[in-house]
Amino acid sequence: MTQPIQPRLTQVFRFVRASYADGVAELAYAFDQGEELIERVRFPAPPALTPERKHAFAAALKLLHLIAGISYYKAGVPPSIEVAYGPLDDATANLLDDLYLHGLAEFAYRNGLDLRGRIAFPRSGEPPGKVEAPALHLPKRTLVPIGGGKDSVVAAEAIKRIGGEATAVWVGNSPLIAACAERTGLPLLNIQRELAPGLFELNRLGAWNGHIPVTAVNSAILAVAAVLYGYDSIAFANERSASAATLEYEGQQVNHQWSKGYAFEQLLSDWLHTHVAADLDYCSLLRPFSELAITRAFAKHTPYFDVFSSCNRNFKILGPKPADRWCGQCPKCHFVFLALAPFLPKPRLLTIFGRNLLDDESQAAGFDALLEYHDHKPFECVGEGAEARAAMYALSQRPEWQEDALVARFRSEILPQLDVAQLALEPWLQPSSEHRVPKRLQAALAAIA
Amino acid sequence: MTSNAPAPLSAGAPWIVMKFGGTSVATLPRWQNIRELVSSRRAEGARVLVVVSALTGITDALKQLCAQEDKGKRIEAYKAIAQRHYELLDHMQLPVPETLAERLRELAGLAEEGPAVLGELAWSALVQAHGELMSSALGATFLSHTGVPTQWVDARECLAAIALPNQNERTKLLSAMVEAKPDPALNARLEQLGEVFITQGFIARESQGRTVLLGRGGSDTSASYFGALLKAQRVEIWTDVAGMFTANPRQVPGARLLQKLDYEEAQEIASTGAKVLHPRCLSPLREPRVPMLIKDTNRPELEGTVIGPEVREHAPSVKAISARKGITLVSMESVGMWQQVGFLADVFAHFKQHGLSVDLISSAETNVTVSLDPTENLLDSDAVAALASDLAKVCRVKVIAPCAAITMVGRGMRSMLHTLSGVLAEFGQLRVHLISQSSNNLNLTFVVDESVVDELMPRLHEMLIAAGALRTDDSALFGHSWQSLYGSGETVMAADAWWRNECRDRLLALGAEATPRYVYHLPTVRKQARELKTLTAVDRMHYAVKANTHPAILRALAGEGFGFECVSPGELKAVMAVVPESAPLLFTPNFAPREDYAWALSTRATVSLDSLYPLEHWGEVFRGREIVLRVDLGRGLGHHEKVRTGGSGSKFGLPVDQLDAFLRLADTHGVAVRGLHAHLGSGILDVKHWGEVYSQLASIAERIGSVAFLDIGGGLGVPSHPGEASLDIAALDETLRKVKAAYPYYQLWMEPGRYLVADAGVLIARVTQQKGKGSWRYLGVDTGMNSLIRPALYDAWHEIVNLSRLDAEATALYQVVGPICESGDVIGSDRRLPEAQEGDVVLIAQAGAYGKVMSSPYNLRDEAEEIILD
Repeated sequence: MTQPIQPRLTQVFRFVRASYADGVAELAYAFDQGEELIERVRFPAPPALTPERKHAFAAALKLLHLIAGISYYKAGVPPSIEVAYGPLDDATANLLDDLYLHGLAEFAYRNGLDLRGRIAFPRSGEPPGKVEAPALHLPKRTLVPIGGGKDSVVAAEAIKRIGGEATAVWVGNSPLIAACAERTGLPLLNIQRELAPGLFELNRLGAWNGHIPVTAVNSAILAVAAVLYGYDSIAFANERSASAATLEYEGQQVNHQWSKGYAFEQLLSDWLHTHVAADLDYCSLLRPFSELAITRAFAKHTPYFDVFSSCNRNFKILGPKPADRWCGQCPKCHFVFLALAPFLPKPRLLTIFGRNLLDDESQAAGFDALLEYHDHKPFECVGEGAEARAAMYALSQRPEWQEDALVARFRSEILPQLDVAQLALEPWLQPSSEHRVPKRLQAALAAIA
Repeated sequence: MTSNAPAPLSAGAPWIVMKFGGTSVATLPRWQNIRELVSSRRAEGARVLVVVSALTGITDALKQLCAQEDKGKRIEAYKAIAQRHYELLDHMQLPVPETLAERLRELAGLAEEGPAVLGELAWSALVQAHGELMSSALGATFLSHTGVPTQWVDARECLAAIALPNQNERTKLLSAMVEAKPDPALNARLEQLGEVFITQGFIARESQGRTVLLGRGGSDTSASYFGALLKAQRVEIWTDVAGMFTANPRQVPGARLLQKLDYEEAQEIASTGAKVLHPRCLSPLREPRVPMLIKDTNRPELEGTVIGPEVREHAPSVKAISARKGITLVSMESVGMWQQVGFLADVFAHFKQHGLSVDLISSAETNVTVSLDPTENLLDSDAVAALASDLAKVCRVKVIAPCAAITMVGRGMRSMLHTLSGVLAEFGQLRVHLISQSSNNLNLTFVVDESVVDELMPRLHEMLIAAGALRTDDSALFGHSWQSLYGSGETVMAADAWWRNECRDRLLALGAEATPRYVYHLPTVRKQARELKTLTAVDRMHYAVKANTHPAILRALAGEGFGFECVSPGELKAVMAVVPESAPLLFTPNFAPREDYAWALSTRATVSLDSLYPLEHWGEVFRGREIVLRVDLGRGLGHHEKVRTGGSGSKFGLPVDQLDAFLRLADTHGVAVRGLHAHLGSGILDVKHWGEVYSQLASIAERIGSVAFLDIGGGLGVPSHPGEASLDIAALDETLRKVKAAYPYYQLWMEPGRYLVADAGVLIARVTQQKGKGSWRYLGVDTGMNSLIRPALYDAWHEIVNLSRLDAEATALYQVVGPICESGDVIGSDRRLPEAQEGDVVLIAQAGAYGKVMSSPYNLRDEAEEIILD
């Protein structure tokens, strides 16, 4: 037995190897000379890999290895990173340097660390543009990741609407997500991810802990799945406001949702085109839309009201009551409640949440944070402050809402400090033109708008 | 076949109407059951009229047939329906009787013809009526072939629908009403025809001769109509449950069977929530004073519920509580309404205009609040927004939702208000939006936030019993609990208690020697401990020693492998003095001084913190240590805290919003948070709570990293009243295992206290004297709140028996009191006990927990000695 490791005192984080057999990808990492940390990703009913896809698969698997390492790297944040299979070309190294720096920005902020200058993946010096992946003629069908919340429902329903062939896919064993995925009526694909048990041990030994950019990890898993099962597109449901920073800290932008933002989407999408397959598209179907445009679209999908949840607190256990899906305390609950309110009959909205969060004075601080009143935006995947203010303003003009405690408080205390001209709901409902949605799926954008 | 057929009935023999629902007529065994029941009623000397529903699923199939526009598909649907009846006849080994064949031909014709000739609604009514027409024809054949000659009666020839104002064609044909007055002519006509009859529920005929339906609850209503027409001796509704209960058993497993109700009470209970009867089916019986009996087809031996005119002399009692969810309140506030003629008429016109029906109303000088039931119109249209816009022009309007109406039903509700103080205090902690008390004095309704209801109902039910407002001690009115009749968990069988049989003589001897005495039965402690060890999800159990620190009990539990949870240095010392070194110890104090922590850290105990202060001010004491953090899940658990430990109102636990601050402090001092702990409160019988706490703790633990175990506390309920169900340990384990599967990397700990020792201990005392005061009778015993303070402190209910006269009839109603000079020194009020004599040994049960440990020298009376039985 080696001595128990002191995670925060480690010197090197090592990407040891990535292998794949019989539907199981094994991703091995280590700190210094410590024991290997082995993560496993299980792909159900794996088809045999065709020879023409082998190279693409190996590239996607390598990227998954490099991206998934972020969960382990952050335990020690050592000064040096080693990759056992040699240095990376510039494009790959740039992607990872960016991901590790920005994706861990909140983690760093919370732990009082500064990662600038600390993260440097080994480089071979091979410049971008040298690598060109061929087209693989992947089947024209889409992987739609389901997250259990409103966004992925809107994306899945839009693809259904235009008659696109799609599979609802999710990583992990959340019963809530499974219920939502089933509700789509699409074929299902459930991929399992098992974190290395050693990570929990490191945590007990005092590892650094905090937020990691899980969407990047899931994206890499789906890229492997797309090559393995044959899909030409991966359509996430990341919206416009995901690109906005949560706060700035010592000159660095901190965005809780960095890996859901447009910058990461472009990086990964380009990387997959050049390193995996020229015809594998990675995009977000909701990129042109604000949260409010999405909640408006979601408000039409009544069949999901009793299964979906965007709350992050009560995720693993699924019960029949609204309180089993919505904690009612967290920024996600606050935001989704507020953003849906302008688009649903009040009694219907309240049956979804099981309570009226806007008539509860003890929630004032939470809603203030959303409105960016007295506070910065919360570290959660929530809309922009101006968007929340527009939704609140819309409610404040409605007789069925305006006497509720927090709406009344908004009217008397916050509204007088705001410029009403900036509070209209309508501009938020206009899609922007910024997106990477491939031609084949662009009709779905109209279906959402 | 009965060998000796009963003697023929005379003219004027009483009638019994028996109604059987869809599942009761769908299979051969069920029909054999009906046959037995019918013969037994016939044997009582009554004429029997059986009212049946359609075979289960047939009414839906007929509705689907009606919805088919395509003739071919209608005929296909018809064939499938016919096939169901052929199959049942086949099981009965009977040929298709002509009566049924005729119905099938008619239905085939209707399917062929479609709605064109009769008109959509009339055709649809006639098609649907065939479900009952066919099942009754089939039943007549079966009963007649099995030795009970049965006449088939066409209900439409007996029940004439009446035309009502504001009825449209749809309601006229699909939810018709019948005016049922005793009809001697029908009575005479049937008497001529035979003794046993079968007819259809759900259908009648209107003045133009068209077949009509009676709408929801139609078959029960038919039975009532026939009961009234024939002025029956009674109407029996045979269903899948034994009757009405004091609460919805799904919310309150301890709900008790209501054995006797009057019409008004039953109707009130039915309309505020009970699903077993449709409220409309009672009114036909009221005037002719025909009683209704609800019975369980599968368990005919159970007493069932009798609903009748009789108001016998009973103490006034709350009969039931119910909750209706999904209610929206509209509160309207305006000085303009004060003394303003027509204000309310104008306001209500808006509700009508937007298609919203108002249920409860409460009004004051400047505020009117009304409730709206959940309808599709309310939930999915803009009706509420439009209404609010209109109302906003004349008043301030607030839409409050989602709410639930909690109703207590009982005759003479106003006279019971004084018993409800505890219950009202409970409501005092909630947001009560509206209170309504009907002038018929039958109900009292509170409208509260919907989110509190699931937790509140079982608690209210329990409180009503404890307060003597729901007099479950009156066995004439209240039967067994739903749990004991239908549930899976074991119920407390009074006869099982160790002191009742096995140790009674020992106890009497001990009582004859000296009293007061606490007696502890170690085999019961071990039995409870072993039961908890069947919780496979739990990795470590700690006994919360504050319940009872007797060394023999500590030793017994150490022997069962339990760890020990202590809240003070004194408790830790007492435990360490008797348990082996290997037994794990927890130190979980609250507001303990610095030196307590310092000392506890010098022992092997795992120490808990539950506030920022110790780390802020005494950080050095904890440097480098591992601790457990007790959190207050606050409103994260929603409703629960408000009701029980009160979030900010409770002094325990670190509020979750201070978690980050705590972790920063811990980091500063090198303190590792190894465990997370939360405690719910006590006396919890619903297993879901632990699952909720467990998963909430786990999700918090995931943010911390260093956590290795989760301690979900104790609070496992021990039922006190006879007939109450005990905690379902298997269900608890299942709940916990489900959470554990999601968070396998955390160990699970628990800290039961009372559950282990309450039943194992009794307090024995001797009768000293009696006193009469007005109608009150006081029974004095030689100890009271000095030995057992729970009744005075918590209103706790302890069973009290006269051990010297255990088998004598309980004829006296006593207030059992102790010798302490406090008016609160009452151990039990309104107890039915045998007439007592000075020197009788009285036993107070469930005194093993929080008995001796909470006793005091008050009044300087001798303390109760402790005796161990092993």
